[in-house]
Amino acid sequence: MTAQVPVIRLEEISKAFGEVQANSNITLDIHQGRVLALVGENGAGKSTLMSILAGQLQPDSGTIRLKGAPVAFSNTDKAIASGIGMVYQHFKLVDAMTVAENVFLGKSDGLWLRHGAMNREVAELARSYGMSVRPEAVVGELSMGERQQVEILKLLHRRSSILIFDEPTAVLTPRESEELFATIRRMIEQGKAIVFISHKLEEVRALADDIAILKRGQIIDQLEAAQVTSSADLARRMVGRAVLLEVERPPVEPRQVVLKVSNLRAQGLEQADFELRQGEVLGIVGVAGNGQKPLVETICGLSPPREGHIRILGQEWKRFFSRQAWEQTLSYIPEDRQGLATCQGLSLLDNFLLTTRGGFVRGPWLQRRQAGIKADGLIRDFDIRPPDPEALAWQLSGGNLQKMVLAREFYRKPRLIVAEQPTQGLDIAAAEDVWNLLMKAREQAGILLVTGDLSEALALSDRIGVMYDGTLVSTFSRDDQEQVERIPQMMAGLKDS
Amino acid sequence: MPRFRIIKRQERLGWRSCFIFLAAILLSLLFSGVMLALRGTPPLEGILILFKGAFGSRWAIEDSLIKAIPIFLCSLGVAMAFRLQIWNIGAEGQFALGAIGATWMALSFPELPQLVLLPLMVGMACVAGGCWGLIPAILRQRLGTNEIIVTLMMNYIAILLLDYLVYGVWKDPTSFGFPMTAEFVPQAIVGKIGSSGVNWGILHCLLLGILFWVFVTFTRTGFELRASGDSVRAARYAGIPYSGLVVLVMVISGALAGWAGFLEASATINRLQPSIMVGYGYTAIVVAWLARLHPLNIAVTSLLLAGLRVGVENLQLDLQVPAAFGGILEGLILMTVLAGGFFVHYRIVSVRQP
Repeated sequence: MTAQVPVIRLEEISKAFGEVQANSNITLDIHQGRVLALVGENGAGKSTLMSILAGQLQPDSGTIRLKGAPVAFSNTDKAIASGIGMVYQHFKLVDAMTVAENVFLGKSDGLWLRHGAMNREVAELARSYGMSVRPEAVVGELSMGERQQVEILKLLHRRSSILIFDEPTAVLTPRESEELFATIRRMIEQGKAIVFISHKLEEVRALADDIAILKRGQIIDQLEAAQVTSSADLARRMVGRAVLLEVERPPVEPRQVVLKVSNLRAQGLEQADFELRQGEVLGIVGVAGNGQKPLVETICGLSPPREGHIRILGQEWKRFFSRQAWEQTLSYIPEDRQGLATCQGLSLLDNFLLTTRGGFVRGPWLQRRQAGIKADGLIRDFDIRPPDPEALAWQLSGGNLQKMVLAREFYRKPRLIVAEQPTQGLDIAAAEDVWNLLMKAREQAGILLVTGDLSEALALSDRIGVMYDGTLVSTFSRDDQEQVERIPQMMAGLKDS
Repeated sequence: MPRFRIIKRQERLGWRSCFIFLAAILLSLLFSGVMLALRGTPPLEGILILFKGAFGSRWAIEDSLIKAIPIFLCSLGVAMAFRLQIWNIGAEGQFALGAIGATWMALSFPELPQLVLLPLMVGMACVAGGCWGLIPAILRQRLGTNEIIVTLMMNYIAILLLDYLVYGVWKDPTSFGFPMTAEFVPQAIVGKIGSSGVNWGILHCLLLGILFWVFVTFTRTGFELRASGDSVRAARYAGIPYSGLVVLVMVISGALAGWAGFLEASATINRLQPSIMVGYGYTAIVVAWLARLHPLNIAVTSLLLAGLRVGVENLQLDLQVPAAFGGILEGLILMTVLAGGFFVHYRIVSVRQP
């Protein structure tokens, strides 16, 4: 390791939320001109640790040293003043403003905005770090990758020297990820320090100089990236067991059609036409924002179709959603776990009942006790932490919340599953569990898998559908090598090469 | 130098949060003491008289209980809507409609026996109050109107309708021109309990309060209410019929306020007259918030704020404090308790800077 004084040293940091020890005695150095990758399972304490560094949370004990001197980041302003900047997973931008206005937000002291000078300054800054975003563009019209560039520009503009990226590539296309890495490498050349939280092991290996592995609130391993021999090696160090990279996919004979979408049009969706049979996984891939969300929301009854037909389990869309049974029907596993799949202010038990309540009623009465017994069992089976049915949903980490949603939806014995980014934000071990669950559920159900992760789609699907510009461009068998190789072109909207 | 920092509480306070509640009440009393002192009234004596006036004698307690009945029922209704985050400000109007509905039955069928007439009055009061809640609910779900504005405006319509009836078609010819209906026949009156001044309406409150609790705690619809109140998007995801719930709670809300209007007309005033409108429907909103929408808390808080009304009357007589003081004190309590709610979730600690 480098001998120079670390720009930031976290010393014996501990933080508890109630009975959950999120961080215990963590000591970590962050060096100038190096990328530190923070990896670990969901709920391992990565986000908590970084929130402490960004001044959002206060540690229960321990000190933060800035260039050797102890500092207290009692609020975010102090951390910012010390040069710490964080790029959150969920961007904090004003959609209605331009890029330059967002960068200057809260910084101009005069009464008047000097748009010309602002635009020039932001353009200059963007160019020097190899970013493509235009300063006069309105943020609401930008892609996720461009929005992330705005976030980074904001930090660079206030001369942050320590930049924290919380799963930055989760919302990016592969190409955008490459651009981000180029930007990060430039920042390293400028002597900035980078902390990079990620679940994608290939990325970590490609980018990091140092790697710290967290598990259950503690650092279990700290090493230089050069010491890691392969992604599998890193995965082994993370979870303590070899990761199955190939998902076992026993052949299932496709049976009756469970979902038939014909000439569907909806808000933001131009054209979709496909069939899904029981025992089959149809993987929908595409760059985010090309109509996947409208497709899913229309199929799942959240917004009405404008034209065309949807038949679910043999029933017309309208009829199906007018009287929905609770089990052996449609299970929707949405990407938005916090806002859509769960009630944040309610307990785990109540959230379990959210879609399964139909199974626990006698007359007008809700049988909470029986539901509690079932929920307890599921919490154990799925290893949801904290294992307390009375814990409130907002107290759970994203991964544990997703496990809760999966446990609930699989409990309903669905015959049609719509899974939207089911493993996003999950660590490799949890993702593998989800894959196996989906493969098992496939025996009883047809699965529509919408994912941004091409390897996930290829590993799980029987057929692949590619979406571009609101249209389901093409569907083909996963074994059709010729088509599979053309997926990137299709995602980019190129008709024929 | 010690510095202060706001920290989010990790554990829930549970029953200990009542200390915060008490501290907030004390603070509001302190403020009102200052106000009394500013106008030259001895503050301690004033507050003492206020309490004695509210709970210091049998008569005072009975009067507080009588006033607590309509406040409790209106508040129960308001709380039902608030649980779904539907802001029904219209308890006052729904209360008026309930009184009108009950009076209509009482005046139309004076010859019916009590066992038939009273349920008829309750039924019509609930239907009338429920309709007054149904209209803003439908407007909200169909046309996207704001229920706060609509329910508030409908209060004025209801009060004017009541005035129109008692100044016009329902005016008692023998009332020497006063705007009031004839006194109800004895069968149309909810009697008093034994020799006390408190009417049987208190039993209605007990039963309805228990029903409310059972409904929101143990039924499927009660659960759906709670889920929808937390997140409308999640409710739609889970296939909960949100629009139907909005209509349901507004009708229940209106029906409960209507029931209160029935009791007030039948048991307390024994007729319909404009003075039946004394702002119980607005006090009910304060009560619902203070009680955090829980029925038992609503009962206690209703009694407290009813006591405040009675106590202020006393204060007015003994120390010539203006009646508006009661409204100010009510407002102060609401403000301090709501502000105190901050301390349920956060605490302030002093940190020594190194």
